[in-house]
This record gives sequence, structure tokens and C-alpha cells, in this order.
Amino acid sequence: MNARAVATAMLPEHLLLLGIVVLLGLAIGGRARRASLAVALIAVTAAALAAAGLSAGGHAMAPFADQFSVDPAGLRAKALVLALALPVLLMSWGEFEGEEFPLLLLASLYGVSLLLSADSFLTLFLGLELMSMPVYVLVLLGHRRPQSAEAAIKYLILGGAASAALLMGASLLYGSSGSLATSTFVQAVASTQALRRTGVVLIVAALFLKAAIVPFHAWAPDAYEGASVPVTAYMAVIVKAGVLLAAVRLFGNAVPASPLLELLALLPLASIVWGNLAAMRQDSLRRMIGYSSIAHAGYLFYALLGEPAGRFQAVVFYILAYGLLNLLAFAALPPADDERARDRLGRLEGLFHRSPYSALMIGMAMLSLAGIPPLPGFTAKFLIFKNVLAAGHTLYAVLGLVASYLGLYFYLRVIQLMFMSSQAGTPVPAPRAPAVGASVACMVAALLVVVFPGWVVARL
Amino acid sequence: VSEVLALNLVLFLPLVGIVLLLLVPGASDTLCRRLTLTMMVLQLLLTAWLYMRFASGVPGLQFETRLPWIAAWGVYYQIGLDGYNVLLVTLTAFLGPLLTAGAFSAIGKDVKLFNATLLLIQFAMMGTLLAQDLFLFYVFWETMLIPMFLLIGIWGGERRIHATLKFVLYTAFGSILMLAAVIYLVWSLQAGAGVTSFAFSDLLNARLPLHAQQWLLGAFGLSFAIKVPMVPLHTWLPDAHVEAPTAGSVILAGVLLKMGTYGFMKLGFPLFPDAARLFTPVLSTLAVVSIVYGACLALVQDDIKKIIAYSSISHLGYVMLGLLSLDLIGVQGALIQMVSHGLIASGLFLMVGMIYERCHSRELAAYGGLAKLIPVYSVFFMILTLASVGLPTTSGFTGEFLVLLGAFKAAWPLHMAGDSGALVLAVVAVSGVVLGALYMLRFALTFLYGPAKAPLQPQQTLMDLGGREKLILGLIVAAVFTLGLYPDDALRKSESAATDYRQRVSSSRLPVAAP
Repeated sequence: MNARAVATAMLPEHLLLLGIVVLLGLAIGGRARRASLAVALIAVTAAALAAAGLSAGGHAMAPFADQFSVDPAGLRAKALVLALALPVLLMSWGEFEGEEFPLLLLASLYGVSLLLSADSFLTLFLGLELMSMPVYVLVLLGHRRPQSAEAAIKYLILGGAASAALLMGASLLYGSSGSLATSTFVQAVASTQALRRTGVVLIVAALFLKAAIVPFHAWAPDAYEGASVPVTAYMAVIVKAGVLLAAVRLFGNAVPASPLLELLALLPLASIVWGNLAAMRQDSLRRMIGYSSIAHAGYLFYALLGEPAGRFQAVVFYILAYGLLNLLAFAALPPADDERARDRLGRLEGLFHRSPYSALMIGMAMLSLAGIPPLPGFTAKFLIFKNVLAAGHTLYAVLGLVASYLGLYFYLRVIQLMFMSSQAGTPVPAPRAPAVGASVACMVAALLVVVFPGWVVARL
Repeated sequence: VSEVLALNLVLFLPLVGIVLLLLVPGASDTLCRRLTLTMMVLQLLLTAWLYMRFASGVPGLQFETRLPWIAAWGVYYQIGLDGYNVLLVTLTAFLGPLLTAGAFSAIGKDVKLFNATLLLIQFAMMGTLLAQDLFLFYVFWETMLIPMFLLIGIWGGERRIHATLKFVLYTAFGSILMLAAVIYLVWSLQAGAGVTSFAFSDLLNARLPLHAQQWLLGAFGLSFAIKVPMVPLHTWLPDAHVEAPTAGSVILAGVLLKMGTYGFMKLGFPLFPDAARLFTPVLSTLAVVSIVYGACLALVQDDIKKIIAYSSISHLGYVMLGLLSLDLIGVQGALIQMVSHGLIASGLFLMVGMIYERCHSRELAAYGGLAKLIPVYSVFFMILTLASVGLPTTSGFTGEFLVLLGAFKAAWPLHMAGDSGALVLAVVAVSGVVLGALYMLRFALTFLYGPAKAPLQPQQTLMDLGGREKLILGLIVAAVFTLGLYPDDALRKSESAATDYRQRVSSSRLPVAAP
């Protein structure tokens, strides 16, 4: 271990930690919560810039050998995920009574950062837990509604089950190889030994649970609906990104063969189908996004079917597109006194006539999530399916595309409600200024991806 | 150089218009309309200039732009004019100002959004026609969907939600299979020739085994056939037409449907020629079924918009028949028929819109004797009806006559060789002309002659056409006659494409067996 390497390679983590310490100090000192949001914004921005800077400098080092390592591509992904957390922070302005939100969010982001650099199951587990634990509390924060408590408990129990499965799987791999390094996973994928196979399946199941893949998805819609809007956005974007990036990192250059291949193809396919079908029947936007995120987790896991070389890029690009537009929809959602009524789809009826900006932004987000060109959601989906097809899985690619067609209806229904209803409805308050800022930033970034996709792809 | 710039402007002017519309906060409805019209007129002027500059008889692209867009995937921003798209581009630019002006009085709700939607769909249609890169083509192809969805869904009639969802879900299903085919096609080119490219020119040289060609043509063809639409995939069209506002119907009939036939001609058949020749009997039969079935349904409709909608199905059947004949005259006839139908159907839909604005009814039986009430309207209506029937001197005649001539020319040698299938189809297709005369004349007779009646508010009197309306219809009628009396120029400009298309679809592109 070399102190210099620890200082540079973990700079993003250090900056987040510094932010956490300052926030704790502020909390003890009883300072105003506006300061805490500002501190969190600065810390996350600094951490994202540090990650981007290290990536641009081409840093590839392992300060703790076989535990934690960074490389330019991983650092870029880290910078992206941290940057996606900024709109979440902006959205939280005025949403919570206490000052816990920025602190918990930073703690969770620290976990995501660890996850993206984990080289051993120990670090991986640490990152996963550190990412999830604060989110259990964040779900509970949601305006102290009874649904929030129920959602938090469900999420906690199933999150615990996922951790247990991960630990069991890791211990089986440890038992067969004598090492905790994640590289044993890559070897185990190629192995036919029953013990190793069981370990791999358990770990994959844990990842499926965390990412809400059918049949491990039931917690997601409840948790998404029970949480308050910024927390839902955080779960749908950052937590999902963390899990998927960890998964694609874990798989490294492993090429899954039958029967693991079928597991990795059919369950995500089932998620796409079921997520898209169940979303049609929802009357709450958050719940609908919950099901939609189940479908999107399916597309993301589909990326693992592609050739190893292009997988990481495809996942990062997808997270960029999916994250930006999901955050855009949440940031543009007009606030309401009654948190539960806020995202009823019925409340969106005729929104275009009351709040044209919100309606246009949410509409754009829906089209992108549905994968309609030229929006980024299409380009990202194109990349994933291109890779799957190039790896020779023609049938899975076609089935996945046809399943994605099922999602079109419910996204369009949101647009139909907002634009095609003559009903005026009650006036809605304008979104708060920071949330507007967040939505503008997301929209501009999304438009840049539309106009210069080549530039973005070349840099991921 | 200036032509290249002009062509890019033609594509992007509508987008500039949208940005301007967004930038003017609280702009009055009149300003929004005028701004949109200005953009459309500018686009038309530039297109007209490019049409003059377009050299006939030169194969390949003219005024080409090619810039890397997603370099890592071999995707280029590549646009240009060639014999395939030059007529349709001109048609699209020609209809733009007309439908914008046509909607001045018809649309009073969300005027800004309406004009932005018109500009967006104009942008997407131009892009689809000009694109010379499959990725770009697909992006524009899909982009057309959303403005049309809004156009029908916001400004449509009573059952607009049903109609617009049906339209989108139908067309999107075709598109998603086409996307799979696009990826597979590019990937197999990469695996075979080692080139990662979406450029039409590269893809048109890819060699594919017959079974792959069949699947891919199936996927592309389904998407195109839904758009055309060919029986039995046509059921979305009457709903969409009936519920759409006039501008929506004009776009649909004028340009959108031609995207299907254009897709077959530019991509579907030339990309997979061996499969195309294999499918020709089935597709020709479907084309003739479309001609006859569409005409029969048009004969029994009570809704005047539905009559024109079904007649569109019938008329586009001729285009498909011409393309499938693989005869030079037939293919050129198909190209003329595309433009001709675009003009005539647009004109008729605009006229239906004008009478609907006055009387708020689309029921044929509610009208009668309009010739006495509104003579100028009736003259225009009669001209367009006769053009639709295919009266010589109008564009309708040029298109249908050339297609049928081509179909017979191609079928005769086959008949002499003992295979009379194509000849039977050509003979049945001729009956479509008779049926066409029947339904259009039934329509015009009920509409214009007999006892004078029109559904009106009690205090209203029926107004004849105003200056703006006369100008719109006058331009369309002038174009119809120009194409009917002097099709020479249009034929020469598109001849290189017809020759190229014939040569491509006639040759085999199966993989060459290693010696």
C-alpha cells in the first residue's frame, strides 16, 4: 500500500467523505439545512470532477491490491454516476423537513463509488451495503406516510435477502478457490463444477434482486411509490446504475455459456415483458416508473449477452441515456401539497395547458424511455441490441426488441393524458427553481447526446 | 457548394422554424402561422431551385453531404438528391405551404404547438427522403411517428385517441422488426466484407444468402407495407384519415403513405433482390387485391373522408404493381403515380376540409347540388375528381396508364412462355380503373348535382371559396395539369433511378460460392 496512490486513486471517495464529515458537523452544530444541501452539492460536484480528471489523466492503479482498483473507463463511469446524483440533490430542495437527506445521499454515493472499484467480494459487499443502507432510511423519510414505512420494510427485507445470497455465493466461490478476489467469479463462470456454478447463480440472483429483475422484482413498485420523488429518482437511476456497473465489472471478460446464458437472457427478457405489461395498468407515475425500471433493468442485463469488449460501454451509455431522461421526468413533475396525489396519472390530465414546460419535458422523457429516435433512449437501446446480435444471439435480440414494443403504449398514454385531454383540471404550482434548474440541465445534456452521439460514444 | 448548402437548409429550415416558435414567448396565433408559412415557403423556393439544378440522366447522388455522426459505428450524416427522391422531395416541399395555409382557419386550439408539430413532421419527412445512411433513415422514419401521433390525437375528431393509438401501434410494430433487420443487415455486412457501414451504397453491395434475404425483406417489407398500406395491413388508415384534422390527412395521403412505396423502391427490393423476385407473385397479388378491394370499399362509404381514404389504398396498389413489374415504363409510372396521388388526394382532402369547416358534416348523404350553391368549389372538385379517375391530360392518367402499360409489357413474355399469372393480374388491375370511375363519379354526382342541400346552421349561407382557398387549390390543379400534359421533365429526372432500380432488382446478390 502506498499512501500517494491511496490519496489519488480514492480522491472521489475522499471528497465524498469530507462532505459527510462537514455535514455531520453542521448537523451537530444545528446549522440551517440550506447550507447542508450546498455542501452536498459541492462535495458531489468535486468528487465527479475528480473522477473525470483522474480518468482524463489516464490513471490506472490499485491502492489496495486485489481489493480496490481504478482505471480510466471505470473512473468515467464513476464520474457519470456522481454527476447524475446532482439533479437528485437539486430536486430535493424543499422536499424534506429534516436535514438527513444530503447526508444519507452522500453516504450512499460513497457506497456506489466503492462498488465501481471493487476487486474483491469483500469490497463489493461493503459497497453494496453502504449503498443500500441509507436508501432504506431515505425511503422512510418520504413525508412520513404509512406507505413509506411499508415500502422501507419490504425493501429492507428483500435487500437483506440479496446480501445473504451474495455472501453465500461468495463463500461458495471462496470454498472452491480459496480466494475472495472477484476474478474467481470469471473463472467460475467458465467452470462446470457444481459448487462454483451454485456460487455464480447465487451471486447473479443477488444482483437480479438488487436490480429488480423478474421474479425478484415485487419490491420495486412498492418501494418506488412509497418513497418521495427525489428518493424514487435516486433508486431508479443511481442505485440501478451502481448494481449494473458492478455486475458488468464482475463479469469482466467472462462469456456466459449455457445454462447460465439462458438464465441471463430469459429472466431479463421476462422482466422486459412483465415490466412493460404491468406498467400499462398503473395509475401512479412513480409506480409506473417502477415497472418501467424493471423493464429497463432487463435491457441493461441484456448487455451482458454481448461481446465482453463492448459490454461496459453499452451499459454506461444506457445509464447515461436512461438516467438523464428519468431524472428529467421527475424534476419536471409539478410539486403538490399532498405527496400521494402528486403523481396520480389523473393529475397529469391536460397538464400541457396548465404547465406547458412540465408537459413538454415529461413528454420528451417518456418518448426517450420508450426508445423513440432520435432521443438518447433509442441510441442506447440500439447499442445494446447491436452488441447482442453481433455476439450471435439473434433470437434473443429479436425477442427483446419485440418485447420493448410492448412498452410503447403506456409511455404514450402519459403523453395522451397531458396533451390530448381537453379537461383543464386544477392549476398546479410551478416546479421549484432548483428542480427547474435540474430539469434544464438534464434536457440540455440529453439534447447534446441527440446531436453529438458520436462524440459521446467515442468517450465512454 | 451553394447547392449542397441549400439542400441542408431545405432539411433544417423547419427545425429553425420550431426554435423560432419556441423563442417567441406569448406570440399571437397569427404570428405563429405566418412564421411557419414563411419557413415552408422558403423551403419550397430552395427546393424548386434545386429541382431546376438537378441534372437528369446522371446516376448517383447529387448535392451530397457526408459527415461522420457516430464514427465508432460507421454512421454518417449523409444526405443527397437522386432520381429516387427528387420528385418526392419536391412534392413534400410543395405541399408544406399549402397545408400550413389550409389550416389557418381550421385550427384554433394550441396554434403554436400545432405549427411546431407541422414543422417537425416536415423535417422528419424531408430527412427520411434525403437520408442516404440507413441509421439516419431509420431515425427520421421513426421521428415521423410522434408529430403524426400528436396531430391526430390533439386536433382530431371525436374518436381521435383510438385512431391515433391504432396508427402508432400499427406502424411502430413494423418499425421494431425493421430495426432488428437493420442491425442484422449491418452486422452481416461487417462479418462478411469487414466493413462497418450504414451507407446505402455499401449495403446495396452486400451479398446475403437467400434465407437471410427472405427474413430481412419480410421485416423491412412488413414495415413498408403497413405504411403504404397494402391489404390486409390497411385497417389503421381509414380510422386515421377520418379522425385526423385536414392538415393531418394531407400529410398522411400526400407524403407519409409514399414513404412505404419509396422504402420498397429505395431499400426493400434493391437490398434483397433475390428474395424480392421470389416474393413478386405474392406481392403483386396483394397489390392488385389492394387496387380492387380499396375501390370496392370506397364505393360503399357514406363518410366522404373514408371514400378518399379507401381510394388511396387503391391508388397506391398501382404504385406497388408498377414497382413489381420491373419494366422501365412501369417503374417510371409508379414514380409519377406517387406524385400524382400525393397531389390529387391532398387536394381532395383539403376540399373536404373546406366544406367541413362550413357545414361540420362529413356524411355524403347530407350534401347535394353543391354546383348550384358554390360553383367555384364545384369546378375545382370536379377537376380533382376527374384527375383521380385518371382522365387524360391530368397526372392521374399519366401515372396509371404507364403502370398498366408496364405491367402488360412485363406480363406478355411470361404469358407467351406459358405463365399467365402476371397477365391475369394486369387484367384485373385494369378493372380498378373502371371501379375508380364508379366510386369517384358516384361521389361527385351525389355531392355536386341533384337537389341542393347542405347541413348548415339556420342563419348561415354557404360561402364559396375565399382567395386563400382558391390560391391553394389553383396551385394543386396547376401541378396536376403540368404533370399530366408535360410529364417529360419529371420522367427524365427520375429515369436514372428507374434504370438503376431495374438493374439492381434483376441481378442476383447471393453469395458467390468459393471456387
